[in-house]
Amino acid sequence: MEHTYQYAWIIPFLPLPVTMSIGLGLLLIPTATKNIRRIWAFTSVLLLSIAMGFSANLSIQQINGSSIHQYLWSWTINNDFSLEFGYLIDPLSSIMSILITTVGIMVLIYSDNYMSHDQGYLRFFAYMSFSNASMLGLVTSSNLIQIYIFWELVGMCSYLLIGFWFTRPTAASACQKAFVTNRVGDFGLLLGILGLYWITGSFEFRDLFEITNNLIHNNNNGFSSLFATLCASLLFVGAVAKSAQFPLHVWLPDAMEGPTPISALIHAATMVAAGIFLVARLLPLFISIPYIMNFISLIGIITVLLGATLALAQRDIKRSLAYSTMSQLGYIMLALGIGSYRAALFHLITHAYSKALLFLGSGSIIHSMEPIVGYSPDKSQNMVLMGGLRRYVPITRTTFLLGTLSICGIPPLACFWSKDEILNDSWLYSPIFAIIACFTAGLTAFYMFRVYLLTFDGHLRVHFQNYSSTKNSSFYSISLWGKEVPKAVNRNLLLSKMNNTVFFFSKDTYKIDNNLKKKVRYFNTSFDKKYTSIYPHESDNTMLFPLLVLVLFTLFVGSIGIHSDQGVIDFDILSKWLIPSTNLPNSSYSVDWYEFFTNAIFSVSIAIFGLFIAYILYGSVYSFFQNLDFINSFVKGGPKRIFLDQIKKGIYNWSYNRGYIDFFYTRVFTTGIRGLTELTQFFDRNLIDGIINGVGVASFFMGEGIKSIGGGRISSYLFLYLFYASIFLFIFNLIFL
Amino acid sequence: MTSHFPWLTILVVLPIFIGSSIFFLPHRGNKTFRWYTICICLLELLLTTYVFCYHFQLDDPLIQLEEDFKWIDIFDFHWRLGIDGLSVGPILLTGFITTLATLAAWPVTRNSRLFYFLMLAMYSGQIGSFSSRDLLLFFMMWELELIPVYLLLSMWGGKKRLYSATKFILYTAGGSIFLLIAVLGMGLYGPNEPTLNFEKLANQSYPVALEIILYFGFLIAYAVKSPIIPLHTWLPDTHGEAHYSTCMLLAGILLKMGAYGLIRINMELLPHAHSIFSPWLVIVGTIQIIYAASTSLGQRNLKKRIAYSSVSHMGFTIIGIGSITGMGLNGAILQILSHGFIGAALFFLAGTSCDRIRLVYLDKMGGVSIPMPKLFTMFSSFSMASLALPGMSGFVAELLVFFGIITSQKYLLMPKILITFVMAIGMILTPIYLLSMLRQMFYGYKLFNVPNSHFADSGPRELFVSICIFLPVIGIGIYPDFVLSLSIDRVQAILFNYFHR
Repeated sequence: MEHTYQYAWIIPFLPLPVTMSIGLGLLLIPTATKNIRRIWAFTSVLLLSIAMGFSANLSIQQINGSSIHQYLWSWTINNDFSLEFGYLIDPLSSIMSILITTVGIMVLIYSDNYMSHDQGYLRFFAYMSFSNASMLGLVTSSNLIQIYIFWELVGMCSYLLIGFWFTRPTAASACQKAFVTNRVGDFGLLLGILGLYWITGSFEFRDLFEITNNLIHNNNNGFSSLFATLCASLLFVGAVAKSAQFPLHVWLPDAMEGPTPISALIHAATMVAAGIFLVARLLPLFISIPYIMNFISLIGIITVLLGATLALAQRDIKRSLAYSTMSQLGYIMLALGIGSYRAALFHLITHAYSKALLFLGSGSIIHSMEPIVGYSPDKSQNMVLMGGLRRYVPITRTTFLLGTLSICGIPPLACFWSKDEILNDSWLYSPIFAIIACFTAGLTAFYMFRVYLLTFDGHLRVHFQNYSSTKNSSFYSISLWGKEVPKAVNRNLLLSKMNNTVFFFSKDTYKIDNNLKKKVRYFNTSFDKKYTSIYPHESDNTMLFPLLVLVLFTLFVGSIGIHSDQGVIDFDILSKWLIPSTNLPNSSYSVDWYEFFTNAIFSVSIAIFGLFIAYILYGSVYSFFQNLDFINSFVKGGPKRIFLDQIKKGIYNWSYNRGYIDFFYTRVFTTGIRGLTELTQFFDRNLIDGIINGVGVASFFMGEGIKSIGGGRISSYLFLYLFYASIFLFIFNLIFL
Repeated sequence: MTSHFPWLTILVVLPIFIGSSIFFLPHRGNKTFRWYTICICLLELLLTTYVFCYHFQLDDPLIQLEEDFKWIDIFDFHWRLGIDGLSVGPILLTGFITTLATLAAWPVTRNSRLFYFLMLAMYSGQIGSFSSRDLLLFFMMWELELIPVYLLLSMWGGKKRLYSATKFILYTAGGSIFLLIAVLGMGLYGPNEPTLNFEKLANQSYPVALEIILYFGFLIAYAVKSPIIPLHTWLPDTHGEAHYSTCMLLAGILLKMGAYGLIRINMELLPHAHSIFSPWLVIVGTIQIIYAASTSLGQRNLKKRIAYSSVSHMGFTIIGIGSITGMGLNGAILQILSHGFIGAALFFLAGTSCDRIRLVYLDKMGGVSIPMPKLFTMFSSFSMASLALPGMSGFVAELLVFFGIITSQKYLLMPKILITFVMAIGMILTPIYLLSMLRQMFYGYKLFNVPNSHFADSGPRELFVSICIFLPVIGIGIYPDFVLSLSIDRVQAILFNYFHR
C-alpha cells in the first residue's frame, strides 16, 4: 500500500477546486453559478468524502504499524537557502486529518440546510472548503514554514467566516478582533520559527528536535539554552492565540458572530485544535525544556478555570458553548504540559465530536427559534427567551443532552474516558493543578447543564413576552442562580408563583436595556415582527442526520481509548495508533482497574454533583418545589445569606463582564495604539510636514519681500545703492580715520 | 554585443516617439486615443517579453543586450544601455503596470490626448532609467520622469492638486540636485579623463571620505523617491490628489526607482560606504515600518492611508538592501515587484470606489458591500495580499527579508533580535490599519442619504484590471522562483564584492 502514501499530497488539495471555481464563478458569471448552487454543495461534500477515504486509509495503515512517511519537493532554491514543501504522514497527522474530514463532512451536510435561505450560500461553501483545505494542509505539513503558511490561511478563513454576515457591525468588529488577536499569535510563531532557524539552520522537525536537544544537553552554555527557551515560548504564543488560551482568548467568544456551522467546525473542532496540534507536533522540542512544559501547563490550568467561570452567566447559548470550548482546550493544553500526550489527543478527539454535536444542536435550536423571535443573534441565541423546547424539538433535545452529558464527563460517553485520564495524570503531576481541574470538572457539569436546562426545560418563555406585552416586552431578567422572570410578573398566575422563588435567589437581576438594543441596527429584525408561527419546529432531516451521526461518534469514539485486557499486552487502539511499531513498555499503561474505578467514581461524582446543583437552581418549576425546603434550610440564616449574595453577585459580574479582560484590553491596548497613532500623526503632520511647509512659506515671504523691494523702479535701486555706499563710506571713515 | 539589433534602444524610444504622434491623430472622440495608447502599450509589452524570451540568457549574470553609441565625446557621454537580471523584473513590471494604468484611465476625458502622451512619456523614461548603463544617462532618464508626473498631477488631480504637485516637484527636484552632484563627482574623479560607464566605475575605488559623500548624495535622491523617512511627506499628498491611474504609476513603478537605484548604484558602485551605512539603513527601515504603519492608522483619508501603507512596505525593501545577504537582497527585489503589483491595485480600487461613493473620508463611508460585492471581493483580496498573507507575493518577500536579517553576518545577536522583533511588531500593525479600513468602508450597514443612491459595481474593465494584477500576485506567492530565478545570479555577483575585497 505504498502508493497510498505517494498520493497523500492530494488530501489538502481535494477541497480546493470547489473554492476556486465558486470564486471565479461568482465573480464572472454570478447568475449561472447561483442557479446550480446545490450542485456545488454536493461537489464539496463529495470531494471532502474522498479526502476522508484517503485519510481513513492512511489511519488504518498507521494503526497497523506502518512507519512515518515524508515526501518533499523543493519550493525555492537559493544558494544558501532552500525551502522544501512536502507532507508528513504520521499518527498525529492521520488522527487530525480524519477528525477534520469527518466533522467537516457533517458540517457541510448540515449547512446545506442551515444556510439554504441565505444569500451567501455559495460564498459560505467556498470559504468552508477553503478552510478545510488549509486545515488539512496544516496537519500534513512537514516543516515549520509550511505550518506557518497554512496557519495564516486558516486564520484568514476564520476572519472571512466570522465576518460572513458583514452587514452586522458586531460581526465586523468581531472578525477584525479575531484576525488581529491571531496575528499576535502569528507574530510569536514567526519569531519562534526564525529564532529556531537561527539556532539550528533547519525547519524540519526531526533536525530541529535533535539539534535543540543537543544544544540544551551537551552545551552548558547558558545563553544559547536561554535563547532556545525564548524561541520555544514564542512558538507557544502562536498556539495560545489559535487555541484561545488565557491571555489571547478574547477573540473566541466574539467569533460566535459567524454562522453556527462555522462555530461547530472551526471554532470548536478543527481550527482551535491547530494550536494543540502545534504543541503536540513540537512536543519533543518542548519536553526537553522543563520551563516551557511548566509554562504550558500553567497556561492550561488558568484557561481551564477562567473558561469555566466565564461560562457561568452567559445568556447567549453559543457564547457559553464557546467558553466551554475554551475551558476544554485548556484541559488539553494542561495534559500536553503535563506530558501525557496520549490523553491530550484523546480528549482532543472526543471533545471535537462532542462539541461539534453541541454546536450543531444549538444551531438547530437557533434555527427553530428564529421564526419566532426574529433573526438577530441577541434574540435567537438568547437563552432567556428559550425554555421548554424539549416538547417541540425532541430529536435535537436528545442529541443535545447526550452532548452535554459527554462534556460533563458522564460514562459511557466519549469525553468521560479522556477527561478521566487527564484528571488522573494531573494528580500525578501536581495536586494543586489536579484540585483545580477537578473543581472545574464540577463547574463544567454545572454550566453545561445550566445551558441544557435553560434551553429545554420549563416553559417556552417567548410567550410570556407575548402575554405580558406592554411596550417593554423584552424586560426580562435572568440571574446566575435563579429563574428568569419577566418584570411584569404579577399578571401571570404561574409567574407569581415563580416570583417567590425569585426572592430567594435573584437579587441581582439583569435588565436588558431596551433602548440600547434598538439603537443597534440589525439587517433583518424588528420588534413588531409579525410572528408567523407560535411554536418552534424541529429542523429538517438534512440537519438532523449530521446530529445523529455525531451522536454515534460521541457514543462510541471513547472506545478507541479504553484499555482492553487481552492477555499480556493490553493496549488500546489509540496507543497503538500513536506509538507505531515500537515495543510499548508494558508498565506505562498497565491498567490497574481498581485505581481506575476509584478515580472514575470520584470524577463522576463531582460531575454529578455539578449536575445536581444545576438542576436544583435551574430545573423546572415543579421539581424545584420539591427541593424548596431543602434549599430554604440551606440558604436561610441572616448574615450568612448576605455574604452568599455578595459572592453570587461577584461571580455573576465577573462572568457576565467576561472577567473584565476585554475591558482591560480595550483600555490598555486599543487606547494605547490610538494614542500612539495620534502621536505619530501629529508628529508627521506638524513636525516633518511642518518643516517643509514652513520652508515653503518662508521662501514665499522672502520672495514677496524681494519682489516688493525689487519692484523695477530705478529710483529705489539708486536709493539703495547710495544708502549702502554711504554706510560703507561711514564705516570706512570710522575705522581708518 | 553592439553589433546586434538595438533592441533596448527601440524599447526605450518606442513609446515616446509613437506616442508623440498622438497629437497628429484626427480628433474623433476619446475612443481613438484610448485604443491607440493601449495598442502602443501592448506592442511595447509584447516586444519586451519577446526580447527577454529570445535574446536574454537567464543564467548569465553579466550585462546583456548591450548597446553603446557615442553621444558627446568630450566628457565620455555615451548612449549606453544594457540589462541584467536585476533590471528585467522592474522593466516587465513597468510594462505591465503602465498598460493596465492606461486601461484604468479610460474615464479621463478632459484633454485626453495630452494625458495619454504623458503616460507614454513616463513609460519611456522608466524603461530608460531601468536599463541605462551610463551614469549621466541614468540621471537624464530620472529627470525625464518628473515632468510628466508633475503635469499629470497638476492637471488631472483633485482639489489640492497644485499644492501637491508643487510639493512633489520641489521634493524630487531637490533630491535630484544631490543626485547630479554625486553623478558629476563620481564621473570626474577619475585620474585623467571623466568616466561615466557603470562597468568602469564599479572597479574604481575612492577615498573613504569621498565615497561617503557620494553615497550620501545618491542616498538623498533615492530617499526622496523610495521614500525613506523623514523625506516621505510628498507621497501621501501626491497620492491623495492624483488620479488613480497616475497613482498606479507612482506607487507601482516610480517608488521602485528609488530602491532600484539604491541597489544599482549605491550597492554596486560604492560597496565600502554601503557596508558602513547599512546598519543605519536597517535602523531607518525598521523605524519606517512602525512609524508609517501607525501613521497610516490615524489617516482618515482612504488614499492617504494606502499611501502610508506603501511607505511602511518600502521599509522592508530598505532593510533587505541593508542586510547585505543574498536572501535579504532577493527579498528586497521581490518586495519591489510585489509591492508594485499590490500597491497599484490598491490605489486603483481605492480610486474607483472613491469615485463611486463620492467620499474620501473613511469615517463617513460604510456599508457599501451590498451594492458593490465585486469591488468588496477584490479589495479584500488585495488587502490580504498587502498584509502578507501566505500564498501571495508579499509574504514571500517579507519572509525573505526576515531571513536576510537573521542570517546576516554583519550584525551582532542583540541588534538582530531587536530589529526582527520590531519588524514583527509591524506585522501586527499592518492588519490593524488594513482591516479597519475594510471594516469602515464595506462592513456594517448604512442608509445613504443621497437621493439616487445607486452604486454600480465594478464593470468588466475594472474587474479585468484587478484580476490581471491579482494573477501575478498569486503566482509569485505560490512559486516565487519565477522572479527569484531572474535576479539570483546577479545578486550573487553583487554580493561577491562584499566578501572578496
